[in-house]
Amino acid sequence: MPCDQFRDSLDARLDGELTPDEARDVDQHLATCPTCAADYARLSATHQLLSENLMRYRAPDVLKARIRGALVDTGDAGALRVMPQRRSTWWRSLAAGIVIAGASSALTVAAMRGRPDAAPDELLSSHLRSLQPGHLTDVVSTNQHNVKPWFNGRVDVSPAVPNIDSLGFPLVGGRTDYVRGRAVPVIVYARRQHLINVYVWPTSDDTPSAPHPSSRNGYHFVTWRAAGLEYHAVSDLNAAELDTFAESFARAR
Amino acid sequence: MNQSDVARFERVVLPHLDDAYTLARYLLRDEHDAQDVVQEAALRAYRYFGGYSGGDARSWLLAIVRNCSLTWLDRRKTDQRLVPFADVEGLEIAGGRDADAMAIESSERRRVERAIAALPVEFREVLVLREVEDMSYREISDVVGVPVGTVMSRLSRARKRLAALLVDAREAS
Repeated sequence: MPCDQFRDSLDARLDGELTPDEARDVDQHLATCPTCAADYARLSATHQLLSENLMRYRAPDVLKARIRGALVDTGDAGALRVMPQRRSTWWRSLAAGIVIAGASSALTVAAMRGRPDAAPDELLSSHLRSLQPGHLTDVVSTNQHNVKPWFNGRVDVSPAVPNIDSLGFPLVGGRTDYVRGRAVPVIVYARRQHLINVYVWPTSDDTPSAPHPSSRNGYHFVTWRAAGLEYHAVSDLNAAELDTFAESFARAR
Repeated sequence: MNQSDVARFERVVLPHLDDAYTLARYLLRDEHDAQDVVQEAALRAYRYFGGYSGGDARSWLLAIVRNCSLTWLDRRKTDQRLVPFADVEGLEIAGGRDADAMAIESSERRRVERAIAALPVEFREVLVLREVEDMSYREISDVVGVPVGTVMSRLSRARKRLAALLVDAREAS
């Protein structure tokens, strides 16, 4: 029965997987066998229906941002870890003197302006630590309604987790971190290949404050105060875009 | 990994994220699950990138996406392998909620999406790799990890099953 030897080749013929010789043999058989020809026609119809109706999906930009953000997380970690250690060999003692000399006046100025105490050194080292593999997020989610309740029971404050994806700042997730000796919530956003960590802790000062920028070692900080909480955004994103981020975040609350 | 490895990974592997996401959407039938799995697969691919020998990057990535998807399905126990077709009517089929899918929501497309969603996962994957990703049998064999001959027979059975499902659906409506 010649049909048997061809029946299994019909799909391969349709998919262009046969050698020219094999294809010719199948075609010759189809020309003379109405049963196999009908099978082949049905097969072609199914193939056409599928190729016309099944859609190719586009990976959402949020997903691409999350992946690129996570690559920064794992990829740059080595470089980032080495950098502060190398520097510390010579400038740490010098810096310590300056800090002691400047601390009292800096604190006075901060208090006078009623500006949140940024603790930038600690935030920067926490930010760098977060870029090490596996340290960025404890809960990975692009959904604010997942991230916000995740903090319940883990930290004693309930931070705002606004959805500002439409402004180009997709949510990556959240984690808890230790800053100034306490567990604080950290909300993680992405901007292209940059990550933004937002640290939150309570403050006794109830008056809201507008976002205030600063920078250190090439990293940018923006701090603001709202509803009895201090927010500290840290990123290697350029200062202008981090300002935009902070404004968007603060306004979205 | 140094900076040039990161750059190479981004250049070689990341262009195939749409394909990766498409495969995950069809295997998992849920857009949020698909996003999570593709992210996991991309990071796994990044970790294994040292072992990538420079072959077809798309097949290499899709094989990882497939493995992550199957693991996910096992873990979630949501694989609807044995769900009779009638029960799939109530299922939210991948694509049904997409903005562009809604715009074009022809009954034909929905019928086909439903039918493919009702196929067992080992048939669904070869059909998607062939009909949507337009892969050769050799490439499909690399992704799925079975011989080319198995790809051919599985694809053949998958098309017959799908054709039968479509006939059933037409008669039911």
